[in-house]
Amino acid sequence: MARYPSRYSALSLLRKGATRSNWPRAWRHHELKSSYDVVIIGGGLHGLATAYYLARNHGITNVAVLEKAYIGGGGSGRNTAIVRSNYLTPEGSAFYDRSVQLYEGLTEDLNFNIMFEQRGHMTLAHNDASLRTMRWRAEVNKLGGIDSKVISPAEVKELAPAIDISDRPRYPIHGALWHPPGGIVRHDAVVWGYARGADARGAHIHQGTEVTGIDVAGDRVIGVQTSHGPVATPIVINCTAGWSTLIADMAGVQLPITTRPLQAAVTEPVQPFLDPVIVSGTLHVYVSQTARGELVFGASVDPYSSYSSRGSLGFTEGLAGHVLELMPGISKMRLLRQWAGLCDMTPDFGPIIGPTPVDGFYVDVGWGTYGFKAGPVAGEQVAAMVATGAIPELIASFGLERFEEGALTAEKGAAAVGH
Amino acid sequence: MLVIVCPHCGPRNSNEFSFLGERSSRPAVATTTPDEWRRYLYTKDNAAGSQLERWFHVSGCRRFLDVERDTVTNEIRSVRDVAEDAR
Amino acid sequence: MTSHRLPVQPGELIDRDDLVDFRWNGVEHGGFAGDTIASALAAGGVEVFSRSFKYRRPRGILTADFHDPNLFVQVGDEPNVRAGHRRLAPGMNVTAQGTWPSLEFDARAANRIVGRFLSPGFYYKTFISPASLRSTYQRILRRFGAGGKIDPATPPAHAGKRFAHPDVLVAGGGPAGMAAALAASHRGARVMLVEENHRLGGHLLYGGPDAAPPLAELCAQIEADDAIEVLTDSVVSGRYDHNWVGVVERHGGEEHLVKARAKCLVVAAGKIERPFVFAGNDLPGVMLSGAVSRLINLYSVAPGTRVVVATANESGDAAIADLERAGVEVAEVADLRRSSSQLVRAIGKGKLEAVELSGGRKVEADLLVTAVGWTTPTSLLNMAGDRPVYDPAAARFLPGDLPQDVLAAGGIVGDGPVESIVEHGRFVGFEAGRRALTTRAAWQRLTPRAEPSDEVAAESTDIPELPAAGHPELFAGPTDGFVDFSEDVKGSDVAMAVAEGYDSMELAKRYTTATMGPIQGKLGGVNAVAVHAAAAAATIEATGTTSWRPPYAPITLGALAGVDEDPVRYSPMHDWHVANGATPIVAGQWIRPDHYGDPSREVLNTRSNVGIIDASPLGKIDLRGRDVTKLLDFVYTNRWESLRVGAVRYGVMCAEDGVVFDDGVTARLEADRYYMTTTSGGAGRVWNWLDEWLQTSFPTWDVRTTAVTDGYAAMNVAGPRSRELLERVASEVDLSAESFAYMNGRVATVAGVTDCIILRIGFTGELSYEVHVPAGYGLHVWQSLLDAGSDLGIAPFGLEAQRIMRLEKGHFLVGQDTDGLTKAHTAGVGGLIKVDKADFSGKPELLWEGESGAPRRLVALQPVDGSVVPPEASQIVDSATEVSRTIGRVTSSRMSPTLGRSICLAIVDTPYGEGGATLTVRLPEGRDIAATVLDHHVHLDPEGERLRG
Repeated sequence: MARYPSRYSALSLLRKGATRSNWPRAWRHHELKSSYDVVIIGGGLHGLATAYYLARNHGITNVAVLEKAYIGGGGSGRNTAIVRSNYLTPEGSAFYDRSVQLYEGLTEDLNFNIMFEQRGHMTLAHNDASLRTMRWRAEVNKLGGIDSKVISPAEVKELAPAIDISDRPRYPIHGALWHPPGGIVRHDAVVWGYARGADARGAHIHQGTEVTGIDVAGDRVIGVQTSHGPVATPIVINCTAGWSTLIADMAGVQLPITTRPLQAAVTEPVQPFLDPVIVSGTLHVYVSQTARGELVFGASVDPYSSYSSRGSLGFTEGLAGHVLELMPGISKMRLLRQWAGLCDMTPDFGPIIGPTPVDGFYVDVGWGTYGFKAGPVAGEQVAAMVATGAIPELIASFGLERFEEGALTAEKGAAAVGH
Repeated sequence: MLVIVCPHCGPRNSNEFSFLGERSSRPAVATTTPDEWRRYLYTKDNAAGSQLERWFHVSGCRRFLDVERDTVTNEIRSVRDVAEDAR
Repeated sequence: MTSHRLPVQPGELIDRDDLVDFRWNGVEHGGFAGDTIASALAAGGVEVFSRSFKYRRPRGILTADFHDPNLFVQVGDEPNVRAGHRRLAPGMNVTAQGTWPSLEFDARAANRIVGRFLSPGFYYKTFISPASLRSTYQRILRRFGAGGKIDPATPPAHAGKRFAHPDVLVAGGGPAGMAAALAASHRGARVMLVEENHRLGGHLLYGGPDAAPPLAELCAQIEADDAIEVLTDSVVSGRYDHNWVGVVERHGGEEHLVKARAKCLVVAAGKIERPFVFAGNDLPGVMLSGAVSRLINLYSVAPGTRVVVATANESGDAAIADLERAGVEVAEVADLRRSSSQLVRAIGKGKLEAVELSGGRKVEADLLVTAVGWTTPTSLLNMAGDRPVYDPAAARFLPGDLPQDVLAAGGIVGDGPVESIVEHGRFVGFEAGRRALTTRAAWQRLTPRAEPSDEVAAESTDIPELPAAGHPELFAGPTDGFVDFSEDVKGSDVAMAVAEGYDSMELAKRYTTATMGPIQGKLGGVNAVAVHAAAAAATIEATGTTSWRPPYAPITLGALAGVDEDPVRYSPMHDWHVANGATPIVAGQWIRPDHYGDPSREVLNTRSNVGIIDASPLGKIDLRGRDVTKLLDFVYTNRWESLRVGAVRYGVMCAEDGVVFDDGVTARLEADRYYMTTTSGGAGRVWNWLDEWLQTSFPTWDVRTTAVTDGYAAMNVAGPRSRELLERVASEVDLSAESFAYMNGRVATVAGVTDCIILRIGFTGELSYEVHVPAGYGLHVWQSLLDAGSDLGIAPFGLEAQRIMRLEKGHFLVGQDTDGLTKAHTAGVGGLIKVDKADFSGKPELLWEGESGAPRRLVALQPVDGSVVPPEASQIVDSATEVSRTIGRVTSSRMSPTLGRSICLAIVDTPYGEGGATLTVRLPEGRDIAATVLDHHVHLDPEGERLRG
């Protein structure tokens, strides 16, 4: 059981307010020890969730999470916070279904309100071919017990009145895949909740601590070098995004990954008018309205690989054009801010989770544009893998060896954008 | 929007070009092994820094180009027509 | 309401002869042309313009310009209009935003009472359980959302964009920017000068009588210079890689995007005055010194009647002079440059009533003016990679290292009298001109066949320093106040976040949301940093700023979208289809006839008489040269060297991973001339791919590729009477079965049109001819065929009928019956994979797939109950297992009018795909049906007698 310095509840909030006393730190500072049982590289959602589940489910608490900047500053804080499980393949949907289950219980489990709003997730189909793909997904989902179905344009209009279902647009709406459990989360809250939970259970979170090398003896990991000195450890888990191949290179492991920026943007707030998350694969755009009233937009990855998160003007132009194609009435809303995160793209758009040719060096990388929604389940499964030494069924098809064997995951059959 | 100096057309906006990824060399088909072939298909250097990569001037002269670009700063150091090297 | 309008002021922007009527919250108001919405309302005595986001506190004018966080209003159907900037227009319907039930009384202001419980992150700490009530909380919380309203009936925007090619682009039209533009122009550069406000001049505009002469002189020089394009009421929205710069031109509410490749960018954004953090700093009646100077000098509005001024700089001193000139009673001046003098709190209920100063002294006032320093608008510099550096002596951030193509000028760099600012701008502009012209010359040199460029002197100019003036570090007073007005975040909130462990600036920003609202930290960003630093016992230098992201100022989606639309393609026969009742279908970029009323009848007619379909979207590539056969042998999996002149062959193309990528036929029309067809969607992709192999791997081969998709109209004439029909219109070709057999191609004259290509191929499974004619004659040939065949029962058929017929014949469609992982063996074309060829694209993978066996296979499937058509994507399940497991899916399905039963293609796991096997298909409604696997893909005429006849 976690020992939180202070549990969060409406009552404790009132008490603190009344006495005007301060809350304790949500996570603590620790000196970096010279050795840990497990070192996790990357203090984002995946790394912190892994630390949390190592402690919570397996009692492994002598764990360090090493973060070069501040927690949640990479992909975890730059994504569009969409959660869903209506994937195309049985393996994919079973995996993400577990993630949705975890997300549904996370607020209570972490004693931290992550504001998961299950307002439904709608993927629009603009032609026969995409309607066929939607039905494919719906049928696979139903077999896996996931709430997912194809709906008509009239039902689209009822759920999201701002959408133009007339035959005016260049991309008329033929129907949609409707997934009621999908929705949006306050992404930072998930990171902070896991950090607080992992800290309370004994894991050490080291911010501002950059890994500069991985020590390998023979074919075994023995430690890492950091900006604050060396750390001995038999187990290193690479939970980074954007820089995952650079970290893997330190252990002499090559990955089939290309780093691409993925951009997103947010508008000024307006009064609520859009409930579900709206996605169009054909138009490469996804939209949701936050609790604060802003529209959050995302699109497909940038046209060329880069480690730059500076963003581009062309992205906002294309984005706005596509959004207005769907919702012509919002042309007077204003784009407030754009940003970019770095995505690790694999050849089959599936993640790479599992051991590597170097003993003790594990990877949880290659999440492409899906990393946020997978955070809880990835953390849970990676923790189980590291703790038990066996690869859990849910992640069995995501191993690195599949590329050598030419047995790619079938999610590649999905549309280029499948948020 | 980057500026790519096409050797045939001069400085042009990068949206005239399509990016084809980092350069790779095709193994000899007669003798290749699954390991080698799939490394050619899938494994990337993914350098953070200088990268030799291929672009196609699809809305221009339709030539395939080898471009040396810094993947961190997006500075472009050189552009050559592929056929010049391949010939 | 009393008028707060002053007598005529020397530099006022309003036109007192031009009255403008408008509405504010349903009440008629009046103002003058040249007024902003806010100045007109202030002149009319309005003090409260909005309610704050979290606590619903009344808010009034703070800065009276574009960046005022308290002046967001709704204008008609346009939300979030900045009333401190937007000019008044006749008939404007202006309303306060997000207030309920009214601006004067907002019921949700009760939040103020419980304010102490709404600590930062309070959402995260509460509503945790019970889970069942969480969605109710969420719905209620959403009602507190900020911002205006969307009107779904807003007409679609069609805001044109344009490109610009300035040598030097100057962001900021104050004295430094104007001087820089002039100097760059004198150097020979073409200049674009962009100013946020409605007029050039920056702070000189509201600088009172002394500022007028230098401003007039600069304006006159700019006016006279044809090489400077001036954009006012416009903003540089972002600087992107390689100096790609977005500029937004505004015309009232209408915005247009200008995209510029600036060879050199000069940032002359000046300084933005920052608020002071103290209790009551958001009360209506508390303003910054700039607001006072703007209201008095630009709009001739008295901002109050009795004022306390707390000043630490010349801007505050100038405001005092302005106030005195305007006849406002200056009750007290607290000079904050003296350590003994302090501003403690603003007191008032709903608006300012008194000010508490050092020693508990209270002064009655309805206006409190603060002048405590600056936030530097380094946003554009930051986007160019600069990390601003904090200078404690100047109490503000200053530019750091800039790239070669970006320079900073004027107030953003340092301080001084107008002459020094202008001087600095001149030097920067001169140097910017040199750098830009150097780049221009280099680009000209790099452009083959361009005019020779002018030589540019390489000497760079040393830009003299413009030091930042000393300023006391005044961020927060002894009491707690707001650091972010639009987000309702107080100093104590930031401090609490630090105490809770959110101790880097980025974490505290995200936790408190300070600087994340519409003002983006432009006013108070540095205050948040200072408060954070104090709480974390760190320096401001070490704490640093958060990253500024584009755009500099929000842009409407309409302006970003512009009028660009994705292209649509029509065949030359499109008008005929429309006139003849075709139902259109969008197929990729093409609009095609789906059917002409009844696809089944179209099928039956084609199978018994003759049908004609417009096949123009087919990809078509003309291939010429001695080595075309070598290329075909490489890009297709099958063998091509034996293809004789006059023959046509089908082939499948695979990528290097063995995955089917396209298919089609290629005809050899002459010894060195070939004609390739591809799928409609693959036309461009295949052409590029051929050129890629040719240029990168086979540069010595003699092959020229030309895409001719739009050059030829294509139509397929299919059915038992198609030969008879074609014989009536074609000449210079022998169509007899002996001379022109199946899988042959000829160049012929059709309906008098020479150079047509006829391919005898059979996607529909019938005797059929694909006729390709020069596009300009497409409609003529189409009409001629219909006319000639009227007695043969000719009728057009659409895409749907073709899909039925190809399915009856068992032809797969790339991308429908295959997916991104389907290799050639899986698709069932193993017979076309010639692994004894030395090399071809994807060969190793196909060799190995052949050896190990494909894990899945494409099969033809017939439901046992032929009246049921399982929808495409229906899953095939293994009903033997307890939990239904998918073992495949239906990829294509139709009711066959020819066979009178349902037919399918399906991908199944190989062990289940043997001919004769019975499989279980789960229909979307949940019912299972049985279906039988056929021995081959063909449902109709497996021997191909119709085809070869």
